[in-house]
Amino acid sequence: MNTDVEDLLRDGMERFTENVRAPAGLAREAGRLHRRRVAVRAALAGSAATVVAVSAAIAVITAAGATAGRTQAQTVADLTRQVRQAVAGDDMVYAGSTNGTDGPNMVWAYGGQSRWVEYWPDTDFRNRIVSGQRLWDFPPQDRGLAYSAEGTARVGGTLMGAYVIYPDRRYSLSRQVPTQDSACTTTGALEMGGPAVVGVNWKSFIDEMLACGAASATGRVRVNGAETTKITGKPVTVRLSPGYSKVVRADWVTVRWTLYVNPKTYLPVRIAGSTETYGGSAGASLSSEMTNVRWLPPTKANIAKTLVTIPAGFHRVSPGDA
Amino acid sequence: MAADPTGGELESFLAERADRLMRTAVLLTGSHDAGQDLLQTALERLIRHWRRIDGDREGYLLRTLYNLATDGYRRRGRLQRKLLLLKTETQRPADPMAEVDLRDALVRILLQLPVRQRAVLVLRYWEGLTEAETAAVLGWPEGTVKSTSARGLRRLRELADGWGGEHNHGRADAALAHVRLRGQHA
Repeated sequence: MNTDVEDLLRDGMERFTENVRAPAGLAREAGRLHRRRVAVRAALAGSAATVVAVSAAIAVITAAGATAGRTQAQTVADLTRQVRQAVAGDDMVYAGSTNGTDGPNMVWAYGGQSRWVEYWPDTDFRNRIVSGQRLWDFPPQDRGLAYSAEGTARVGGTLMGAYVIYPDRRYSLSRQVPTQDSACTTTGALEMGGPAVVGVNWKSFIDEMLACGAASATGRVRVNGAETTKITGKPVTVRLSPGYSKVVRADWVTVRWTLYVNPKTYLPVRIAGSTETYGGSAGASLSSEMTNVRWLPPTKANIAKTLVTIPAGFHRVSPGDA
Repeated sequence: MAADPTGGELESFLAERADRLMRTAVLLTGSHDAGQDLLQTALERLIRHWRRIDGDREGYLLRTLYNLATDGYRRRGRLQRKLLLLKTETQRPADPMAEVDLRDALVRILLQLPVRQRAVLVLRYWEGLTEAETAAVLGWPEGTVKSTSARGLRRLRELADGWGGEHNHGRADAALAHVRLRGQHA
């Protein structure tokens, strides 16, 4: 190839891309991709490496001030039995509203359908320093707006996994429908520290946790003025995968979570979770989430809220690239 | 919100370099959407390894961009590759008498090349790197860069021949014929 053609090729490439501009928020989006990867998946990947038997004793808080060991055991057994019996008929729509260190989000779920919407925080996090690090920036005009939706969508009558990023007007579809792993597994227990609990059949979920010892009924406390039964998950500690460990400058993660269930219906009314990383140069860092749950009747309108809809004009990209 | 592991440095860097990187990504993938996906994937990888990259983070990003492209990061299947070619075909002028600049034709042909050949040519003629520098970015032996580059250029000429045969009218074809003639003597 001679010099003329090299120049022509260079000119051609200049012309071909002359109107190409990087989209706004490229760093922000890359940061979100990164956070999604490390905070949920990569951290969990480390769980296979080392699962530490946490010997943290779960304090058994008895109802009505009972103190004798025998009474405590009976109370716990009663609560467990009641929960297992009561969640048998939860034909309701789950509507969870979460606030925490990752910003607000909402989850609607019914059967295998779910929609998890993340919003930009409605307060200005810019330049806020937590654990010695600056929190991720975002456009101030976007405060409180939906950023992304993840869950299920009906496509040609088939339930598919769906993910939408609103600022980029992009979406992806996949055959994999989001579900919550059983809390009896390490991965499932770690997921309980995060904001979204989707695709859960609460009967079998709580049933399983109580049966396998991943959680215990630990007493009764008042939530929003109403009495609830407290179910405490067994804390799980894992060594972080080497890659993630370098990013967060910590070696270990411990997840704790608690369910608060209505003592009459035994459906969850609040889910609290926390994820703490520590053991590295960054020191300890704690993120926590608090989800308040409402149970709605399974009307057509409420069930519709449990599906992700793809706005007109959005373009589809490959799963994992959205 | 989670912490920004780059301490805001990435924002500053992208403020200066994002458009150029985006253009490179579009050249490597052949489309705006795929280019954006490629660049975001490379940026996410840069953030992931931010703390262990000493010094030349731009160099790391460039290497990642090219290596992701040449590794077929999107695992594009045969059908998708075929669709890309078909899409490129449809971008040819319907009217062979239309004025098609040779420069546009060369880029269209470039986008039909296998991605490794395309990456080498983009590095050589878009980034302006030498063969040794191209080898360093891709982590290939210099000889591999030379042979891949030669194959790419040969393929470019073959495709240019086909283009000229199908469209033996107009300025572009005359120019291509001129290029082929000169190429034989180069």
